[in-house]
Amino acid sequence: MKISLKWLQQYVELTVAPEDLAHRLTMAGFEIEDIEYQGSVYDKFVVGEVLEVNKHPKADRLTVCKVNTGTEVVQIVCGAPNVAVGQRVPVGLSGAVIPHNQHDPEGKPFALSHVKLRGVDSFGMICSAHELGLGDDKDGIMVFDAHAKVGAPLAQYLGKDDIIFEVGITPNRPDAMSHFGIAREVAALLDVKANLPKFQLKESDVSVQQHAKILIEDTENCPRYSGRVMFNVNVADSPKWLQNYLLAIGLRPVNNVVDITNYVLMELGHPLHAFDYDTLAGKTIVVKRAKQGEKFTTLDHKERTLTGDTLMICDGERSIGVAGVMGGENTEITHATKNVLLESAYFNPASIRRTSKYLGISTDASQRFERGANPNVTTFALDRATALLQELCGAKVLKGTIDVYPVPVKPKRVPLRIGRTNRVLGTSLTKDDITTLLNKIELTSIPSTNSPSRDEVMIEAPTFRVDIEREIDVIEEVARVYGYDNIQTDARANLSFYEHPPKKDFSDEIRDWLIGRGCKEVVANSMCDIETAAVTSKDFVEVANPISKDMAALRTSTIPGMLNIVRNNIFHGSKDIRLFEIGRIYFKTNSQAHKNSDSFVPGYYEENRLAIAFSGLSNPRHWNEQPRQTTLFDLKGELEAFFCKLFLDNYKFIPYSTDNSLTDSGLVIHLSGKESGYVGKIRPEIMKRYEIEQDVFVAEISIPNLEIARECERTYRPLPKYPSALRDVAIVIDEEISVETLTMAIRESGGPLLKQIELFDIYRGNQIAAGKKSCAISLEFNSEEQTLAQEQIDTIVTSILNHLQVTLNASLRT
Amino acid sequence: MHEAIETLKRSALAELSTSGDLQALEHFRISYLARKGQIAELFDKLKDAPPEQKPALGKALNEMRRSIESQFEEKKARLETGQKKKSIHLDLTLPGLRPWVGSKHPITQTLDEIKRIFLGMGFQVETGPEIEDDYHNFGALNFPPDHPARDMQDTFFISNDVVLRTHTSPVQIRVMETQKPPIRALIPGRVYRNEAISARSYCLFHQVEGLYVDTNVTFAELKGTLVAFAKQFYGSSLKYRFRPSFFPFTEPSAEMDITCFLCKAKGCRVCKNTGWLEILGCGMVDPNVFQSVNYDPEMYTGYAFGMGIERIAMLRYGIDDIRILFENDIRFLSQF
Repeated sequence: MKISLKWLQQYVELTVAPEDLAHRLTMAGFEIEDIEYQGSVYDKFVVGEVLEVNKHPKADRLTVCKVNTGTEVVQIVCGAPNVAVGQRVPVGLSGAVIPHNQHDPEGKPFALSHVKLRGVDSFGMICSAHELGLGDDKDGIMVFDAHAKVGAPLAQYLGKDDIIFEVGITPNRPDAMSHFGIAREVAALLDVKANLPKFQLKESDVSVQQHAKILIEDTENCPRYSGRVMFNVNVADSPKWLQNYLLAIGLRPVNNVVDITNYVLMELGHPLHAFDYDTLAGKTIVVKRAKQGEKFTTLDHKERTLTGDTLMICDGERSIGVAGVMGGENTEITHATKNVLLESAYFNPASIRRTSKYLGISTDASQRFERGANPNVTTFALDRATALLQELCGAKVLKGTIDVYPVPVKPKRVPLRIGRTNRVLGTSLTKDDITTLLNKIELTSIPSTNSPSRDEVMIEAPTFRVDIEREIDVIEEVARVYGYDNIQTDARANLSFYEHPPKKDFSDEIRDWLIGRGCKEVVANSMCDIETAAVTSKDFVEVANPISKDMAALRTSTIPGMLNIVRNNIFHGSKDIRLFEIGRIYFKTNSQAHKNSDSFVPGYYEENRLAIAFSGLSNPRHWNEQPRQTTLFDLKGELEAFFCKLFLDNYKFIPYSTDNSLTDSGLVIHLSGKESGYVGKIRPEIMKRYEIEQDVFVAEISIPNLEIARECERTYRPLPKYPSALRDVAIVIDEEISVETLTMAIRESGGPLLKQIELFDIYRGNQIAAGKKSCAISLEFNSEEQTLAQEQIDTIVTSILNHLQVTLNASLRT
Repeated sequence: MHEAIETLKRSALAELSTSGDLQALEHFRISYLARKGQIAELFDKLKDAPPEQKPALGKALNEMRRSIESQFEEKKARLETGQKKKSIHLDLTLPGLRPWVGSKHPITQTLDEIKRIFLGMGFQVETGPEIEDDYHNFGALNFPPDHPARDMQDTFFISNDVVLRTHTSPVQIRVMETQKPPIRALIPGRVYRNEAISARSYCLFHQVEGLYVDTNVTFAELKGTLVAFAKQFYGSSLKYRFRPSFFPFTEPSAEMDITCFLCKAKGCRVCKNTGWLEILGCGMVDPNVFQSVNYDPEMYTGYAFGMGIERIAMLRYGIDDIRILFENDIRFLSQF
C-alpha cells in the first residue's frame, strides 16, 4: 500500500531521512518497493511575481515580462492573454521539464532552456494549469492568490512535495495496513512514540438510542457492531488537504462523507461505512445471512446474486450492504443526503474472505477484514470519523454510540521459552534482552504465577496483532526486532547424513549425450489447447480455470509443442533442426498400474518423456560435401547410437502396423519388450496444421522405461585371443523381405562363431532381377580357441547360404 | 659370386641415380627389389655356392640389398615430396568440417549450477508431481482454508481439490511423509501460476527448493548455508542481507537480497534503484508443517528455502523478457 510521509508525520516524529527510514522498514519486514518523490515533477519551478508586462516589439500576441523568482528578476516572453502585473504565477526556470507540451499533439513533456522568441530573450516560462498537469485550463496562465510566497518551490506551494512509500505488506500483518499501523512500526524502529490522532467530539443532547437500533443475528460472523447517527450533514467536496492526502495514496476523492470514511480507513486501518440514514427502514440495522439466491445491487451499480452464506447488513426490511465488502446502492450517500448512520464493525475474517471470493469483489475494506481487523478499535475509529464529520460537514452528532459487542475479545497470551527461542534462532539472548525487544512492539511480558520456570515468560499481544498465536510467532518477532542481520551467520555445517539412497538423475546423462551429438535443448509449455491434447490421448487433464483456450489442458504428448517450436524456427529462418526436450506429459487414469514415483495424486499420471525432432539438412553445409536432407534413418541411427551409449541392449524397432496420430512411416520402439515410444515422420495433415513445409522426423520415448531397460550391470568380457575373420557376401532377396528378417535368418544359421552382421550396401538395378535387391553384408567370425581357417569359415558361410535359400529363396550374387 | 654381387650393386645404384620420377623408380623396384627381381635371383644362386662360403656370401648379399633398399626409399621419399609441392596448392585456411553444435537450455544450465553447489553440501535431489492435491500444495503447508495467504499464489485448478502445484514446497511434505530426519533434500521442478503472461511473468516457471531437517537446526545455520551458496554462485565478494518476510510454511521467514551485480549496487532499472536484488525466500520450517507430517516440532527443527530458476537465469544472462525462455528460438538457444 501507499504511505504518505506527510501523513505519517502526524503520528510519529521521523527523525531520520526518508531513504534511511525506507531501509529500516525494509529490514523490519515492510519492504519499501518504491519511493515516489511527488515534488520531483516540479523541480526548478517556483512561485513568481509578475513585475512588468511590456508589448513584444515584433509579435502582437506576445508580451515581454519581468518576473521576480525570489532570488532574481528574469525576463520571460509570455503568450497568455491573462498575464498582468502583480500576479503570483507558476514559473518554470531553465532546466525545468514542462509535464505537458500544449503545442505537441501528444502533449509530450519538454525541457526548458534559454531561448530567443522572435528575437527577444526568454529565460523561463509562465505556465498554464494544463501544462503543469494540474487541470484542463490551457487558455491562460495559472494565477495564485496574492499571499503566495514569491520564490517558494512550486511543489511546496501546491502541497505536492510529499514523499510516498510503496510498502509491501505481507498477508500476516493487516495491522500495518494503515498510516498509524506503519507509525507504530516506525516508532519501534526509531525508539520514539507513536501518538494516536487527537480530536474533539461534541455530542448533542439527543440520545442515539431513540433514533436507531442495532441487532446482530449472526454473532459468530459479526462479533461487534458499533454505530453512530448524525444529522444535518452537509455533503460537499472535501477540503483540499483531505483531497491531497487521498490523492497522494492513489484514492479518488468522492465527497466529504465518503472521503472521511476512506481517510479514517487509511489512518487507522479500520473500515467504516456511511449509510444515508433517511433511507433506512425502521431506522434499524440487522446483521444476518442473506437468503440463498437473493439479488442485491452493490454501490458499483452491479446486481449480485448472494448465497445463504453471505453475511449482510440489513435495515428493518431489506439488505443494505454486503458486510465488510461493499455497501448497497439503496442506502448510498448522495448529495441529497442529510443524515448519516456510520458503521464501525468487526467481522469474521473467513466469512468475509468467502464472500469476497464468491462475489469476485476485493475492496480496501474486505482486504483488511479478511486478513483480520482489530475488534477493539471500532469505537475509536467511529469517534475519529464522527469528529471529522462534525468538523468538515457540520454534522450534529447524537449522544452516545450503539455498541453491540456480546463477547469482548481479549488480548492473547502466549508462553515463550527463552531457551527455545535461542535454539531456533541460533542466538544467545537473555530473558531481559527478549522482553526489551518485545516491549518495543507492544508485546508485553506479564508476571505469571503459574509458571515459575526461569526459562519461561508470558507474553501478551494486543488484539491488533492477529498473527500472534503461538510461541513461534513470538520467536519470529524477537528475530525481527533484534534484526536478522544481527543473528550470526553460522557457516558450520552440522553434518548428519541423509540415509535415503539418492536417485540417479538419468535425465542429465541423456541431456549431455544429445548435446554432444549436436542437439539443442528446448523447454516448452506443458499446457495446450484441448484439441491438441485430445489428438494423442482421450484421457487428457483439463484445467478448470485456464488463462485462455490455448492453455485449457495439459499436454499428452511432447510432440505438438515441439512442432510449434520447429514451425517458429523455420519461420525465423532456422531450417535445420536438431532439437530435444525432456519434459512431462499428463493423463487421467483409473488404474493404479501407473504407480510411478512422480505420480502421487490418485486419478492422475505424469511421465517424463524425451522428445527429439530432426528436420532440414543432415549435416551443416560443407565446402567439400554435398548437403543432404535428413531422413528417418538419421534419427533412427541417432537413437541406436544413443541406446548403445546407454548400454541398453534390449531394444527393438518395429515398423508401424498402423500409423499413429502424429506420424506415419515410422517405428514403434520396444525397450525390454515394453512399448516405450516411437520414431516417425510427421503426417502430411499435421504438417499442414502446423504450417510446416519440410519433412520433420520426431521421436518420443518414455524416460522411466529407458531407466528400467538399462538396469543391467556391466561385467567385463575378456578380449578375443585370436584374430577375427571377415567375409563379405552379397545376397539377393525379394524386395518385400526386410533386412531385419534377412539378418535374423543369418543369425539363426550362423552358429556361435558368427559374431557380427553388418549391412553395408543395398543394390537394385539391371544387374539383378526385377523385384529383387542385393544386400551386401559383412560377416565377422571369431573363435575363443583358435585362429579360424579359411575352410572352417567357408563351411559356415555355405550353411548360412543354404539356410537363406531354403527359408527366403535367397541367392548369392555372383 | 662376390663379383656378381658387386656388379649388380653398381648397376643398380647407377640406374637408381638416373630414375628421375616415380614411374622410373617403380620400374627400378620391379627390376631389382621385387620378389622375382635381380637381387632375388642372386639370392637363389646362393644355394649352389660351396657350403663354406655361404655365410660370408649371405652377409654380403644382405648388406647389398639393405643398402640398395635404403637408397631407394630415400629417393622415393624425395620424389614424392617434390611431387606434392608441385600439385594443387592446399589452402589450410579453409574452414574445418564442423558437426552441429548442441546446447543446454539456460534454465537447465542455471539449475545445474545451483544443483552442483547444494549436492556438494550433501543435499539430494527429490521430485514430486506437478498435478498436486490441495492438501499437499496448501493445507499441509499451513495455508488454512479461506486464508488470504492463498492469494499470494494464483492457482490453476484441475478440480476442487486438485491443482497444478503453485510451488515445489508440496514435495517437502511428500519427502517428510516417507522419510525420517535427518533430511537434506533439494527439490527442482516446474510450477504453475494463473497470471497474465507478460515480460515479467509466465504461466509456468521452475523453482528449486531446499529442505533441511534435523535436531538443533538454527536460523543462523540457514543463513550460513545460503550465504555459502550465494558466494559460490554469485562470487565471494558479494554483500547480502536477510529481510523479514512471510510464508505460511516457515516462521521466521526471510527473503535474501544480494548487492546488485549488474550495477555494482549503484542502482539500476533491474534492482529498481535499490542496489539490492532479491534472490530467494527462506525460513525455519513452521511447527504446523512438522505436525502435518507427524514430526515432533519439539525434537526437530529445520529450514527451507526456494528460488525461481528463470529469475536467476534472467539476472545471470541479462534477459529482460521471461517469454523468450519458452520460445526456444534457435538463434537464442545458440547463445548458451
